[in-house]
Amino acid sequence: MSVADALWRFPSAMMAWRNLGRNRMRTALAALGIVIGVVAISSLGMAGVALQQQATSNLGSLTNQVSVSAGQDSDYDGVTEEQVEEIRSIITDAEVVPQKSNSTTVSSRGKEAYVSVTGVTNAAALYDVSSGEAPERLQTGALISNSTAQELGLELGDPVEYDGHLYRITGLIDSSSGFGPGGGRGELVIPISGLADQKYYDSVTIIAADGDAASVIANTLDEHFNTDGRDEEEVLRVSSYASVQENIGSFLNTLQLALLGIGGISLVVASVAILNVMLMSTVERRGEIGVLRAVGIRRGEVLRMILTEATFLGTLGGLVGAGCSLVVGAVMFNVVAGDPAGVLQWASARYLLYGFAFAVFASVLSGIYPAWKAANDSPVEALRG
Amino acid sequence: MSVIELDDVVKRYESGAQTVTALKGVDFHADRGEMVTIIGPSGSGKSTMLNMIGLLDTPTEGTVHLDGRNVTEFTEDELTEERRTTLGFVFQDFHLLPMLSAVENVELPSVWDTSVDRHDRAIDLLKRVGLGDRLDHTPDELSGGQQQRVAIARSLINGPDVLLMDEPTGNLDQDTGRTILEEVTRLKDEENIAVVAVTHDDQMLDYTDRTVRIVDGVIQS
Repeated sequence: MSVADALWRFPSAMMAWRNLGRNRMRTALAALGIVIGVVAISSLGMAGVALQQQATSNLGSLTNQVSVSAGQDSDYDGVTEEQVEEIRSIITDAEVVPQKSNSTTVSSRGKEAYVSVTGVTNAAALYDVSSGEAPERLQTGALISNSTAQELGLELGDPVEYDGHLYRITGLIDSSSGFGPGGGRGELVIPISGLADQKYYDSVTIIAADGDAASVIANTLDEHFNTDGRDEEEVLRVSSYASVQENIGSFLNTLQLALLGIGGISLVVASVAILNVMLMSTVERRGEIGVLRAVGIRRGEVLRMILTEATFLGTLGGLVGAGCSLVVGAVMFNVVAGDPAGVLQWASARYLLYGFAFAVFASVLSGIYPAWKAANDSPVEALRG
Repeated sequence: MSVIELDDVVKRYESGAQTVTALKGVDFHADRGEMVTIIGPSGSGKSTMLNMIGLLDTPTEGTVHLDGRNVTEFTEDELTEERRTTLGFVFQDFHLLPMLSAVENVELPSVWDTSVDRHDRAIDLLKRVGLGDRLDHTPDELSGGQQQRVAIARSLINGPDVLLMDEPTGNLDQDTGRTILEEVTRLKDEENIAVVAVTHDDQMLDYTDRTVRIVDGVIQS
């Protein structure tokens, strides 16, 4: 049994396929409408995902951080050792990094730069270095901002002086990473022992797994330290950037919905085109459908045949459209995120599926009326053509 | 017993404010193995009559019996079922589907019926009308006479009791028309079916067993 014989077992599909083949140009144009609709909907959806990922990765180093400093109702001028221990006992699943800070002027080869000084032990958790290394236990060396190092002509291994002590530079901080505390100013990072004359910590940074975890931690700490019976007081100021990410996220979601809406309009236009094509082709074939009805083809069978035609149009357009969208998406991810393979992850690839499904759905929907009309035409009237 | 029978059939059409009576109490019957030709001038009601016999239209008054069953009150779906199983149609302009081969066109009426495989019968019928070497040709590769033979094979695929022909030779030249009529006569005897034809073609009268003349919706003889 040949393929054609096998297909003949599904007469609606076979007839629909042959009917579409009769006027290839018209079929191609109708499918093209669908292709454009699918490309619009899928690539706009994927553009939203690419933007969102880009925004998240830009904010990424900050949004998972919670920053704790002394609040206005605190008895101390900073965060005490006891409070740090308390935080550590509450927050067990995130890195707790206490810091002391000051500022100073660093000079080298006759040039000077005003920098903020941070005393910290776990430098690796807070800083990304472009060269050298940021140790987890910073005990002797120092890290300095890349930009400051260039300004002063400092290199790895050069000494820097603070408060009478010399520290050897072991790493250069990547200045472009994030826009954290001390943003514009250069930064010098030294072991916490270098700031031993300051009794309290100026701030504690807690690094959580992600933005959501950071929010939870911020809330937990706020409740623990700042609620005393019924009174609200601020012993510790707890802040996280998670809310910033939430705001940006919700803005991007709105943007994405708007983009999808625009894409959806083009698919609606495409399905009107299909409605028109199907209606035209059933009107043209009125006599033929009359013959089918006269020789005993049931109304449901005529209906199925024409609906199948519409479904094929949608499937064809949807598949080609999804293929084109994949290429468009890869280009877009390459431009926005620098990684064309990003398009394959489910978050963006699902828009290919949505576009395809929407195309088939819209096509079937636009096939219903022409199919119903053709199936319920009186055979006598239809035979007259 | 007659395989198809019209009893005092009246058909009225509402046309705007006017009512047109196309058939005014028509009695008709056809038996197995018989060819009946309906003749009459344009607008005499012969097409309407053929539509009644072919269960494509229902009478306003009177009854239609098919194989002794009263089918007058049948629903559209029931009528479709009767056409599918009991009737065959041949039209003036063949009405083959252009995208299907000869054998596919012949199979078409039965193809949605997955319970039967009429492929072999389709080939057999095409051979019997002399198109055994044209099975996979599409209609545009066939002459008018050949197309009408495909249409005749199609009308017989379901093993009908009644074959209805609407001007079957109307689009064919004299010689081809004659060959077609010879084919039909032979198949009518082989399959033992009733053939009812509407025609303007005088040479058809040479093959017919009985002629019914209709004028203004009334049977004359």
